[in-house]
Amino acid sequence: MYVLTSYWMRTDMCTSEIILRRGGFGLLIVACCFFCTVGFAQYAGYKAISNLDTFKQRFKTESSKVLSIESSFVQDKVLTALTEKITSKGKFWFKRSNMVRIEYVTPFAYTMIMNGDKLLLRDGQKENRVNVKSNKLFQQVNRIVLDCVQGTILESKDFSVRYFENEKIFLMELTPTSKVLLEFFQTIILKVDNKDFSVNSIEMIEQTGDKTTISFLDKKINTQFADAVFAL
Amino acid sequence: MQCLPYSFICILLLSSCASEYKHLQKSSPDVSCSQRVVPRYSGTSWYDASIDVTGRHMSGLLLMKSMPDSSKRVVFTNEAGITFFDFSFSKDGVFKTITIIKQLNKKPVIRTLSKDFALVLGLPFYGGTFERYTGDENVYYGVRQKKGTAYFITNKDCASLQGLEWGTRRKRIVSVRLPGSGYPVPDRIELDHHTFSMLINLTRIKKE
Repeated sequence: MYVLTSYWMRTDMCTSEIILRRGGFGLLIVACCFFCTVGFAQYAGYKAISNLDTFKQRFKTESSKVLSIESSFVQDKVLTALTEKITSKGKFWFKRSNMVRIEYVTPFAYTMIMNGDKLLLRDGQKENRVNVKSNKLFQQVNRIVLDCVQGTILESKDFSVRYFENEKIFLMELTPTSKVLLEFFQTIILKVDNKDFSVNSIEMIEQTGDKTTISFLDKKINTQFADAVFAL
Repeated sequence: MQCLPYSFICILLLSSCASEYKHLQKSSPDVSCSQRVVPRYSGTSWYDASIDVTGRHMSGLLLMKSMPDSSKRVVFTNEAGITFFDFSFSKDGVFKTITIIKQLNKKPVIRTLSKDFALVLGLPFYGGTFERYTGDENVYYGVRQKKGTAYFITNKDCASLQGLEWGTRRKRIVSVRLPGSGYPVPDRIELDHHTFSMLINLTRIKKE
């Protein structure tokens, strides 16, 4: 979609140049109006959610029913300019209200456990324990992950949000408003299942246009598993 | 007797100033060996990266890629995919920072990392005139740079590449070990700084 939008923007510029060269000022105004509309185009196959207040209320209520998630995930990192992609896979656990474990299994081993204000990072044999409160960046990343999973992201002051839907998915386009997040992200696109309000995928687009998509598969919602999964 | 402490200090100072390359003897060039073993990175590889700097540890993924225009790119991301830096080296060795996060955007950091990766990519050896030095067990091929010398090291029979080094006349600055298969795409790269505590470990990822 991002590639499509970029393509549109490039196409629009070329068309505007042609119109200008031919001196058709009236045509240019029409073209501008048309392209302004294109600029705010929705995502292909999605329409804007009409009644936002109702949606937000329902989103809050339904996502609060998700008490735990156990799932696999596939992460695709695409370096656009270098036409490079690397795929990694792993397991994901979440338990309300603030326990998350993300475990990369292949092609490298890396585990991240968030439990309250504590964070454990484990790569290979090395472990790094961080008090999230002592680091603003970790604090924000921690908050985003939890907000995305718990469905509280729509209340976040760190983003402005645009809302779309199709027959199966709610799509939320999050644009960072805070300086710290703007350094890393241009947009975050969150896709949520409209039946159980669980997250299907998180797409993070960096300022360079590079993109990381994490897709959650084989989701088990509200199953029982031990807190030991989140032991630090 | 009064001179003894002074002499002792002098000996200590002299020994600390002794060159780490004093065991090397300049010898006649061996062009066939240097051309065969000279490290030249080519292709595209992702590495599982581990970096320890003065007691701090960080990890992530490192991409090294030869571009169609013969330039090289080195990109470091964290495991979750956020790009920390993207460096470019033109085919003439000219370095450029494409992007770098604020936390790492410091001149000494960029200078150190760019020199490290230039060595790993074998860039100092492009078109250079090699001077050959024979040690006890290894042979060093050095190319003089503006500051210091870049070496690649072979065993005496020139069977394989043993490692790479940056050094000044007296001191070893950086050494690179290659425990697995070597160039053009090394399996493992261990880069060690000798003037401060910094160790970079790279293990090639076999993509599915």
